[in-house]
Amino acid sequence: MRIFERLFPVLALVIPLAGVVWTIDQFGSASVERVATEALIRLVFAIGLYIFAGNSGIVSFGHMTFCAIAAYATAWQTCCAMLKPITMSGLPAFIRDNTFPLLPAALTSIALAGVVAFTSGLILMRLSSLSASISTLALMFILNVIYSNWTTVTMGSSTIVGLPVYVTIWIALGCAVLVIVIAYLYQVSRWGLMLRAAREDEVAAQASGTSLYWSRLIAFTLSGFVAGLAGVLFAHFMGTVSIANFFLNHTFLIVAMLVIGGMQSLAGAVVGVTFISVVIELFRRAEVGFSVGSTQISIPAGSQELILAGIMLLILIFRKAGIMGGKELRWPWSVRDDGTVVGVGQVRLAHSADSHR
Amino acid sequence: MLEVKQMVAGYGRLTALKGVDITVKKGEVVFVVGPNGAGKSTLLKTISGLMTPTGGEIRFQGERIDGRGPETLCRRGLALIPEGRHIFKTLTVQENLQVGAMIRKDSAEVRSDMEMVLDTFPILRERFKGVAGNLSGGEQQQLAIARSILQRPALLMIDEPSLGLAPLVIDQVYDSLRKLNETGLTLLIVEQSTGRIMELASRIYVLRNGKVVLEGDREELTDTSALDAAYFGFSSDAA
Repeated sequence: MRIFERLFPVLALVIPLAGVVWTIDQFGSASVERVATEALIRLVFAIGLYIFAGNSGIVSFGHMTFCAIAAYATAWQTCCAMLKPITMSGLPAFIRDNTFPLLPAALTSIALAGVVAFTSGLILMRLSSLSASISTLALMFILNVIYSNWTTVTMGSSTIVGLPVYVTIWIALGCAVLVIVIAYLYQVSRWGLMLRAAREDEVAAQASGTSLYWSRLIAFTLSGFVAGLAGVLFAHFMGTVSIANFFLNHTFLIVAMLVIGGMQSLAGAVVGVTFISVVIELFRRAEVGFSVGSTQISIPAGSQELILAGIMLLILIFRKAGIMGGKELRWPWSVRDDGTVVGVGQVRLAHSADSHR
Repeated sequence: MLEVKQMVAGYGRLTALKGVDITVKKGEVVFVVGPNGAGKSTLLKTISGLMTPTGGEIRFQGERIDGRGPETLCRRGLALIPEGRHIFKTLTVQENLQVGAMIRKDSAEVRSDMEMVLDTFPILRERFKGVAGNLSGGEQQQLAIARSILQRPALLMIDEPSLGLAPLVIDQVYDSLRKLNETGLTLLIVEQSTGRIMELASRIYVLRNGKVVLEGDREELTDTSALDAAYFGFSSDAA
């Protein structure tokens, strides 16, 4: 039972996700399934971002960099054997003239993203919080400029098409579950704890023997790997890769999801992505319109973005720490701090709910 | 154990410490007192490696340590509780204590030390799974002390342990400091007020404008007028 209690923060996220996916797989239409798959891939990315930003308290605007690097890397290895020598003539010969199996291609692409995260982190993690945030944004701009102009290798700003599409909703779910487990194990590990301590108080954390630099670098690298995984999934879900997809729009959408769910907990990341994905999809459908009897009802185009902005504003005003308030879900029948057992049926949050003194 | 010789440190063009000499021997409780801006916090920050001195030298257990980072010094047994109860507010009491023990590898001993600090500070056992930010000021100070004890330091430095606490709570904190000293822990404590330090101090330094203006053992300073005079900057005869 204690094991179950310890794993509860993960199980409470994974089991409902699996339930939803199963329901969609059984009863949902193809379009619902597509939307859900995309949301799960976004979840993988959001958790990658959370591993760094949530635990360190430093928002990164540059994680799309690692996503893009992995997506292009897998495209180079698996895409369009016939066209590659012509459209991407600048690739090294052994990549240009060969097509690699999917799994090794995915793994090497993820590894490349992780290596780039580590290398850039060597420099960026020396900066203090706000400068580090801005410099991650700069990193993304650098990559964007390079990939949009490196025509012989990336096809510039045109879209690479013809990647094998193998990411089903179950593969996306599997990856999401995997990264949830990784993120949880990391955050309760020694290094995760140190980084969270440094987030709360840099001076005291240093005085307790924490190296700000190394604890941040480790998280940054790990989150680079996970963002790379999201990049591979995106590429093999869409079947296309275009640098425009790995830029500001997507970055801010996912940062918004984290902010709304609650930046400082894993549960927040999952809740934020799910909630916003559902809202976006509902209003996108309302924009397209539906018919009641003979009358066609639809809301004006663009209201989806407005409503999203409105929700974000409300959250920031009334619940600054996000929907989950920086807390993990906790086993509801555990013994409380004061020794009383919480009643059955009440879901308690990981931290005691008393207001801060 | 700790020798500070002619240490100079400051912030940019402002020199906060102008050649300070301080010695702490094993098992002592040494107090550094002085008014605002005397350089007390700068002294502790520099010794603990959060700031780099611009002159002089610091020796800890015989070795030069000036210019080393706080993580390194912490591993060598030098612990600092910074001013103003630096605890990790959104982490639980348990996690706060775990961070303290992070630099140690001997998990069995960490566990027994954990029991020891929870016996010393029973309130922390009561609130073990609760968030540290929900503790009261005195409880937070106790948590900060408990956390640094778990580092098993040879020397513990505390910056104003009584800051912002009610007199009764200060008694508790000082009580626990005395108990810790009795177990063999060496303490270097900075305080602003001279009021309560006599009961605990083995030696006292008075710092004014970045210089030591008076030092002496407790016995030598039983006549507090000299202490007050140094503190307020009168000449002793006038006082």
